[in-house]
Amino acid sequence: MSQIMNPPSASRIKVRPSSEREGRKDYISIRDYGFWYGQKKALDAISLDIPERQVVAFIGPSGCGKSTLLRNLNRMNDLVDDVRHEGDITIGGRSIYDAGLEVISLRRRVGMVFQKSNPFPKSIFENVVYALRVVGVRDRSVLDEACETSLRKAALWDEVKDRLDDSALGLSGGQMQRLCIARAIANRPEILLMDEPCSALDPIATGKIEELIHELKDQFTIVIVTHSMQQAARVSDRTAFFYLGKQIEYDTTEKIFMNPSQAQTEAYISGRFG
Amino acid sequence: METSDKKADSASKSRFDVSPMTLAADRWMGRLIRCGGVGVVLAVFGMLGFLIFQIFPLFSGAKVKVAAPIQFPADAVAFGEDEYGEMPFACLADGSIIFQRAQDGSKVLAWAPQLSGRRVTAIRSYPRSGMVLLGLSDGSVEELKVAYHSNFDAVGKRTLEPVVTASEPIQVGQAGSPCLDLWNAKGLSARLIVVQQTVAGKAKLTAVRQTERKGLGGKAKITTSEPFGVGAEVADFERVLLPSTADAVVLIRKSGEVRVYAEAGDNFVFSQSFTPFQGTADHHVAAAGMIFGNVSIVFVNGTGEQQVWSIYPQLQPDGLSQRRWGQIHEGEKLAGAGLGVYAAEGNKCYLAATEGLLQIHNMTTGSLRWEGAAPRFAIRQLAFAGNYDRFTALDVQGVLHRWELVDHHPESSWSAFFGKIWYEGASAPAYTWQSSAGSDEFEAKYSLVPLFYGTVKGTFYALLFALPIALTAAIYVSQFLRPEFRQVVKPVMEIMASLPSVVLGFLAGLWLAPLVDTRIVPLLCAVAVLAPAAIAAGFIWSALPQPWRRQVAPGMEFLWLLPFVVLCGWLAWISGPAIEAFFFTVKDSSSGLPIADIREWWRQSTGASYDSRNSLIVGFVMGFAVIPIVFTIAEDALSNVPNSLVSGSLALGASRWQTVWSVVIPTAISGIVSGVMIGFGRAIGETMIVVMATGNTAVMEANPFSGMRTLSANIAVELPEAAAGHTHYRALFLGACCLFLLTFVINTLAEILRQRLRERYKVV
Repeated sequence: MSQIMNPPSASRIKVRPSSEREGRKDYISIRDYGFWYGQKKALDAISLDIPERQVVAFIGPSGCGKSTLLRNLNRMNDLVDDVRHEGDITIGGRSIYDAGLEVISLRRRVGMVFQKSNPFPKSIFENVVYALRVVGVRDRSVLDEACETSLRKAALWDEVKDRLDDSALGLSGGQMQRLCIARAIANRPEILLMDEPCSALDPIATGKIEELIHELKDQFTIVIVTHSMQQAARVSDRTAFFYLGKQIEYDTTEKIFMNPSQAQTEAYISGRFG
Repeated sequence: METSDKKADSASKSRFDVSPMTLAADRWMGRLIRCGGVGVVLAVFGMLGFLIFQIFPLFSGAKVKVAAPIQFPADAVAFGEDEYGEMPFACLADGSIIFQRAQDGSKVLAWAPQLSGRRVTAIRSYPRSGMVLLGLSDGSVEELKVAYHSNFDAVGKRTLEPVVTASEPIQVGQAGSPCLDLWNAKGLSARLIVVQQTVAGKAKLTAVRQTERKGLGGKAKITTSEPFGVGAEVADFERVLLPSTADAVVLIRKSGEVRVYAEAGDNFVFSQSFTPFQGTADHHVAAAGMIFGNVSIVFVNGTGEQQVWSIYPQLQPDGLSQRRWGQIHEGEKLAGAGLGVYAAEGNKCYLAATEGLLQIHNMTTGSLRWEGAAPRFAIRQLAFAGNYDRFTALDVQGVLHRWELVDHHPESSWSAFFGKIWYEGASAPAYTWQSSAGSDEFEAKYSLVPLFYGTVKGTFYALLFALPIALTAAIYVSQFLRPEFRQVVKPVMEIMASLPSVVLGFLAGLWLAPLVDTRIVPLLCAVAVLAPAAIAAGFIWSALPQPWRRQVAPGMEFLWLLPFVVLCGWLAWISGPAIEAFFFTVKDSSSGLPIADIREWWRQSTGASYDSRNSLIVGFVMGFAVIPIVFTIAEDALSNVPNSLVSGSLALGASRWQTVWSVVIPTAISGIVSGVMIGFGRAIGETMIVVMATGNTAVMEANPFSGMRTLSANIAVELPEAAAGHTHYRALFLGACCLFLLTFVINTLAEILRQRLRERYKVV
């Protein structure tokens, strides 16, 4: 079991002792962060700290930059041409733009679930163990165990345990999204980014995913982008509100929803714009 | 108020009505599209139907119709006829000749020779040349010429007028002794007349040779040699075969031994003896016939076993090769003892007569073309018409039996097209394609196997060159190259696809082949070093420290790769001559000096040939034609893999290559397979490049330095010279049909594979 938790190549990622991780308030630290797509400035002077093992929700109207910020946390925006940034983002004290840091190892550390579920055209099993395969795990028993653990964590095990070798594309929409979550946590990242994970799902599937987020919180630091204020209120510990690329307010979820300090925040959460 | 309501009501009704025009257009377009689809299917099947229609006659046997017999006097011993068989004649035992009309049997002319006291003791007629030889009681030979003059009356109706001319008798045999049998042959340089007599109780053959010398004045002067004996040491011969080339005499003895006497100077000397049925129960040769072309003899023994012997080059114990007789075929066993073997004219068929049955066989393929009932009475003489459309036989009752024969493709059979055949004159059975030659006696060889082999070989080398380049290029361009370069590369490759193949073939044959001829080693070195150099460049790149690498934007790494690979290729190219000198130095056969030449080295060390227009050139240039097609289709397939899958893989910590290998390629695999198959189809059907750059010799060698001939090139090269409806013409259609089936089968298999892969890796 311990082997699954720390697969061979994970040793390249510096794993802190749990005592040090416990309660660290600035686990992810964003400082004066700005980001451009070509000439267009998408993010402006963002500064916020994300504590370890908490759920942080990014909310705001479409185009406010919340997804851009999320995708910068594992540098997925590198795939886009002609982008640049200013300021810095550190995870566990180390800059993600550190010249010595391989972007691949960053992504192994920071998992991601996309808005639209994107299972690979492979079997359910192969989807789940994909991250282990790419780090070179060959041992079938390790893969089997990782698959079961991840699927159980993603609350999918009971539904698919008899058809692990079937194509993942035969699952329902909600199952596919949970499969993507299982896939993202199979190699034990430290941080899980979720980009509107429930936007294409029905209320029952959404409920399941939200429950899942609650359970995963014990092991992962989760950053979730959502359009649904109710969802943000239900699942997150802290909430950041963005508007037009600027960070308007960032505080505990309770405070944001009950007693926001900014008028814009109040206007947004009470549904007057967005 | 009411009216306005109504108005609104009717307006809203018409608002939702569909106009009849829209419906009609929809219906008509639907029909048009259906017609198009059905038309395509019909066109494909129509093409296949046409090909089958063209090749069908190749596999039907001969058709024979019995024509009305003509009754001649019962003492008729030989016959002859005109070109169309309209007015046959019979020679009676006394040497007189009777002409009768074939239509109604009416007698036209009776002619009798002036023999001045001598008797006719032997008659031989050569129906094709209109020659009748009379052997006389004093051992001399009188030659009769039968000619038919065509006369046209006032209404243009043609009548035949037979004319018989007799020449002065020539003394061939020993004077005073009657001539018992006689033969004539007219070769290129001399004419041979052989007579058989019985002298002192022993059979004896005597011959004269006549040579014709044309003077400047144009008047031919015929010189007749002194009579000379042939095969004097054997007296128990039963049969004499005289090739129409007049350069040999073949005697068959009672024991079954065959003795061949060959022309040597003014005489004929013994050259070879063999016994065809040595290994069988019955040694006796019951019937034998020389096949058209004069190099093969069919022997039949008393139990109906058939053997074909032919002259072909054989390695002698002294190490030299010499043309000698040897068995080349074992024919199908006949129903009974052979009664006669009669060769057809113009092809390698013969008619074998047994008790009650006539069979037409093809000597080369051994196929039975036709069989039918024999006349009731024994046959005295049987002859085929010159154009193989009739055969005629005279029986001992004086009845002339006639058959009309339709056999357009006597030389074709499954084994002729697909089997290994021992052609006469060849030293061993082989797959041979040779459709024409200089002589009329030439037998066309239509084996499609070497063409198949050439097709597969050419395709193999083309794909060997094209697939790695096209597929890796497609992966690189779609997954790694920056979009702005991709937008340039793709159209350029598509322009490359539109290059006419005749231009490529022209370049290959006239520019590349001579160029490469002297620079093989440098070229091979340069090509061989490219892939390792690219891999090495990758390794060096990944070993560089991260800050250095970050200077180059993703997708721009080729700025480093390209110069490195080009440099390596150039180094390999310039070191080529040194490598050639080191590994491929051989002794020049003519001067004895050591030379560095891979071509000579290849010839000497493998014994195989080296052609300037070889498989490598074809592979190279045909590969050039295939690359853009495979590239374009594979690149499209790879680019169409949803970006969400790529992001998903990268977000899980996979490297770019891992993403490509385990997500992008499997997802695009059905499209990649399509691209490969279309490239394969292009290579297999490619014509102009192979016509111009292969040398077009139908050889079957795996040797990469030899040429080939493909099915498609064969059609392109030979169809203009094939006579419509001829076997050659139909054999080309058979080749086309095979090509069609080959691509059909392979494309079907590939489509099944593609569907399976698509099912397996389909994307939501």
